[in-house]
Amino acid sequence: MSKSTTVAQPSRLSVIWHKWRFHINVLLLLIPLGFMPKYFADASLFRGDSGLGEREIGEIQVGPWSLRLAELRNQAPILTGPAGYMKDFSAALCDACVDHVKATYLRIGKPRSLRAAGVIFFGTPYRMGTQLPVPEKTAADAELWITMEGWDGSMHQASIPLSQASPATLAWLNKQGAKP
Amino acid sequence: MSKKSRSKLWFLVHSWLALPIWFFVLIVCVTGTLAVVSQEIVWLANPQMRASAPSDDAPLLSYDQILAEIKKAEPQTVVQSINRPDESHFALDVDVSYPDGRSLTVYVNPYTGVIQGTAPSFNFKAFTRALHGWWLVPFTNGFSWGWYLVSFLGLPMLASLVTGLVVYKRFWKGFFRPTLRFNHGARIFWGDFHRLSGIWSIWFIAVISITGTWFLIQALLFDNQISISSEPIVPAMSREAVPQSNDGSPPPRISLDRAIEIAQTKIPGFEASFISLPGNAYAHLDIGGRGWYPLMYQTATLNPYSGEVAASRLLSDRTSLEFVTESMRPLHTGDFGGLWIKLIWFFFGLLLSMMVLSGLLIWTKRTALATANALKREHKKQRVQAQPALRRETSEANL
Repeated sequence: MSKSTTVAQPSRLSVIWHKWRFHINVLLLLIPLGFMPKYFADASLFRGDSGLGEREIGEIQVGPWSLRLAELRNQAPILTGPAGYMKDFSAALCDACVDHVKATYLRIGKPRSLRAAGVIFFGTPYRMGTQLPVPEKTAADAELWITMEGWDGSMHQASIPLSQASPATLAWLNKQGAKP
Repeated sequence: MSKKSRSKLWFLVHSWLALPIWFFVLIVCVTGTLAVVSQEIVWLANPQMRASAPSDDAPLLSYDQILAEIKKAEPQTVVQSINRPDESHFALDVDVSYPDGRSLTVYVNPYTGVIQGTAPSFNFKAFTRALHGWWLVPFTNGFSWGWYLVSFLGLPMLASLVTGLVVYKRFWKGFFRPTLRFNHGARIFWGDFHRLSGIWSIWFIAVISITGTWFLIQALLFDNQISISSEPIVPAMSREAVPQSNDGSPPPRISLDRAIEIAQTKIPGFEASFISLPGNAYAHLDIGGRGWYPLMYQTATLNPYSGEVAASRLLSDRTSLEFVTESMRPLHTGDFGGLWIKLIWFFFGLLLSMMVLSGLLIWTKRTALATANALKREHKKQRVQAQPALRRETSEANL
């Protein structure tokens, strides 16, 4: 471009750029606007307005008791720092067992004893949650074990296939291939 | 480099720090200002959040009396935590869980124990804080990138403060001779405003930018698994610490007032402004409140069956580094001394937002002026060229 043309007639584009270059950052507002639906969906999820979780697994009978189990999010386990991959589950106790169940645990694979029952649920009988570690080498046919401990010292267990508990986790395991 | 061109350079740096992102900085400042008084705004909008005493000498109910009142009104509702806000005009925030699975905050009158209402589903306080703090970008693994985006602004803000003071020669004179000229056009007014509010906000800009930069450092430390905390991790209670019950019903727990009493005998001067009930059979009861240093909380962790104090985290347990780092957040939010501190933070937050805006206005007005002048000069040059050389000399001398 010759000098005379730039001086006499700057291109339309450069005029626009010159005029608006310091106002382009208004577009940064699109970021929170874009995340707003997710923000409100999450707020409603944590308040329990949209049920126990994104995907209800169903009512599971554990000995004389039962609980409703759900995946907090219908997605693969997420990496949480050095602790590895974690998957959030939530649960609610049956009305009749609220006063009898002392603790509820989750574990991948059958626990050898009550002391190794897995991760414990936190919260209230109406809505409690836990973070289950999911090793990357978990086999696709693994089972999710639920252990319930009574105030009287009794213990009851039940299991469901991981594929039923969390299809998203299974898809994640299959996709990366069971690591040694 | 000459003195003049050096100050010109500083001036250029000062303008470039915020100018290209002025709108982003402005929104972060405005949302931060709102977040400071968000609790008060909700209080204004929601009569249910107000703590009105039935009579002037009505005593505050104890935590056990509150629990009993809630139990009486809603036998099914499970209380998870009770929080007594610093300012006495606020009702208690009680986190509860309902049989239908909802977990909500309800407002409870501290004098009568009446559940006055549930927190609205649009949580203004949380929303403004999320918008200000991490631009609503969700947290997945570690800190969200929105957090980094916002907290990074601490650095240009600190640099703006320093370069602003360098450019504004002898700024301390502005304290003794405040100048705010209204009758000399918008450019002069906004320039005066920018300088005047700037010097009176030196302390505030320093506090906000330094604490903001700390949030950046905090995220960097966390995401790189570096911990500077001296706080020991309290393990869950052992099986032996939880009593067996033969009839299969939960064993009795000590009352909240008893728990506070135990904590207060072990820790002189201990204040209980929030109580977090055990999250399961093996979890502890947590009690906390402010100590003599209003920027930090002290907590006591108790076995809810025996009342044994399992752990405590007091002011004296903190390292000197923790005194600094744990003070950063309350200093940033102005939440450590009641309504008046919050109002001061709110006022200077507004001023800071106006400084972003006035900075932009100065720049646009100056550019507009410079453009107009350049055009005028160009115009004049053309006219002058057509005139005799003698006249040209004088006209230039008059410029």
